[in-house]
Amino acid sequence: MIADNLITDRGVTAGDDWITVDATGVRAALGGLRDQGYRLLVFLTCVDHLNDLSRPQWPGRYELVYQLRNMETREQLRVRVFPDGDPPRVESVHDLFGPANWDERETYDMFGVVFEGHPDLTRILMPDDWVGHPLRRDYPVGGEPVEFSEEHEMWLTPPPTA
Amino acid sequence: MTDTSTIGQGVTLTATGQQGAFGGELLTVNFGPHHPSTHGVLRLIVDLDGEQVRRLTPVIGYLHTGIEKQAEALRWQQAVVVTDRHDYLSPPFNNLSYALAVEKLLGVEVPPRAQALRVIMCELTRISSHLVWLGTSGIELGASTMLMYCFRERDTILNMNEEISGFRMHTSYIRPGGVMADATPRFLEMLDTFIRRMPGYVDEYEALLTMNPIFRSRTIGIGRLSAENAKVLGATGPMLRGSGVPWDLRKSMPYSGYENYDFQVATSDMCDCYGRYLVRIKEMRESVKILRQALDRLPDGPVNIDDRKVLPPPREELETSMEAVIHHFKLFTEGYSVPAGDAYAAVESGRGENGTYVVSDGTHKPRRVKFRSASFVNLQPLERLAMNHYVADLVAIIGSADTVLGDVDR
Amino acid sequence: MGVEALAESLGQNVLTTTLGKLIGWGRGNSVWPLQFGLACCAIEMIHTATAGVDIARFGSEAMRASPRQADMMIVSGRVSQKMAPILRTIYDQMPEPKWVISMGACASTGGIFNNYALLQGVDKVVPVDVYIPGCPPRPEDLLNALMILQERIKAQGITPRQ
Repeated sequence: MIADNLITDRGVTAGDDWITVDATGVRAALGGLRDQGYRLLVFLTCVDHLNDLSRPQWPGRYELVYQLRNMETREQLRVRVFPDGDPPRVESVHDLFGPANWDERETYDMFGVVFEGHPDLTRILMPDDWVGHPLRRDYPVGGEPVEFSEEHEMWLTPPPTA
Repeated sequence: MTDTSTIGQGVTLTATGQQGAFGGELLTVNFGPHHPSTHGVLRLIVDLDGEQVRRLTPVIGYLHTGIEKQAEALRWQQAVVVTDRHDYLSPPFNNLSYALAVEKLLGVEVPPRAQALRVIMCELTRISSHLVWLGTSGIELGASTMLMYCFRERDTILNMNEEISGFRMHTSYIRPGGVMADATPRFLEMLDTFIRRMPGYVDEYEALLTMNPIFRSRTIGIGRLSAENAKVLGATGPMLRGSGVPWDLRKSMPYSGYENYDFQVATSDMCDCYGRYLVRIKEMRESVKILRQALDRLPDGPVNIDDRKVLPPPREELETSMEAVIHHFKLFTEGYSVPAGDAYAAVESGRGENGTYVVSDGTHKPRRVKFRSASFVNLQPLERLAMNHYVADLVAIIGSADTVLGDVDR
Repeated sequence: MGVEALAESLGQNVLTTTLGKLIGWGRGNSVWPLQFGLACCAIEMIHTATAGVDIARFGSEAMRASPRQADMMIVSGRVSQKMAPILRTIYDQMPEPKWVISMGACASTGGIFNNYALLQGVDKVVPVDVYIPGCPPRPEDLLNALMILQERIKAQGITPRQ
């Protein structure tokens, strides 16, 4: 395993091993893990723990999740990072893992996490001029109100004039 | 005359006007998002030197559906229907990875008959997904007959989907805790007929394409991806196996009882579009083998876990038991809650590793559902594959990557 | 040759009609669709074109990739906010007279995706002639929609839209 001073917490949830890494040591930790054989970054994503009552012991609103896999030994490891600030900032790992390039762009697009050192940190799924980061918990789902038959009267009645 | 204006997605147009290797100027061409051979709404910005590709930038997001946000707004059992629709050519795989992840958090395991039915649906879908790829790739490379042949068999599979689940494409058949309903006798009969006929049909496809000189000259040596590069870029599925790496989640990290079936992992050392074609053809044959074993050894017993908190009681129980009515009411007004935590489950779909990462905060709605889609990752090597090839070969390369844009953009 | 002799020689071989009916008949039986595949419904659209259902029986098998050669746009699938301007551009490039079939629940109303990313109904950007329900609709549903559209085109005559 990598140096213990980088790991702040470790455990097993639902059969999956995970470690927590300090936000400042992401590159060192992931680079060390890659050199030990965890060469495949399965996915990279972010979880928004806004008003999450189930995990009072965990720091920070945003949790970055890196799922790594060693294709020789078939071990999997999940690395959690709790970046600080708003927007949260963390070092980019696009040069360590191939798939991280687009994954980081997607995480930036959807959560506004800034990956420092990424060569082209722009929106990837939403239009360029979009405002906000849709997968944040304080971003509304959006869409249009649905007209149900019990509200029919209300929809057909014109609003009272001022 | 160097144009440095930026157009969407941070793509900088610098190439037009630069000198190419053939004495002419580089030309930046927009390809898509409405283009018949991009398999959906992929947009590519290509720098051409004469007819050769010198730089290529994929622009995605034209089918972004907000599926992950939508799943957070739905209850655990409702979110199954949105998983169907991101990779719309392989709904049971998406259902299965979601169901496995939720079952991991719930700590339950489904009965053997449900596992076998899941395998049957997945393998049928693998065949139907490969058939769409074969038909559309064939039509792009000039073999229009392939589309008619492939969609004939795909129609049979869709009819079987309809028989077992009531829906042709988005079956929502696999759910956390089991499957939607038991297989009908007619479904098993149709499946048996299909298994007997399918190998002959695959022979027909091979007779049309495998030794076809036009097809071979358009795919052999085109879009080369070495095994090392495929691993570094995180490619999975036929993209990886077509480069000679025998990595298949069904063998490497078995789920849903795949360790009990006897089948081979299809690989090819050709590393090009033709290699990926051979892998997919072989996979169809192997899928038929798995289907035969699953049908012959289909265990008896229930198809759902016996947990009234997760799955509704059977219809006949509702008439006799008050408790069943209460459970039914609770389930359809409030849903069930999943213990807090997170879990990741991956399955081998027709395109590679399709996984679902779910995070629960202990309530009846997911906190986060992340779909790890194979197409999203497999599309990234496209620039490397297409480099210095003719623009006509770009079509073969996009086809051989077999990306589904719904899966890329989610 | 006298008039009687002419009438006799032509016999049963002449029909009289109005110009409007003739043009409507011609247009209605050779509707060329624009091959505008977006999502799931596009696969069912391909099914409609293949041997099992065979849209060629209704004169619409010539799926055109270029909007300039098409009479009818089948919007087959969900239209995202990012795609909407492109959809309108393509529609504007089609020559008059033109028709639009909105295939499936997502194209017609947004379907199950009532959220920020999708256009809640393609009729917000282009005028729609026929809506098809279903997610996705069966190939037979698309044929039925085509037949409904053909009846309308035939009834419209020379000037389809004022």
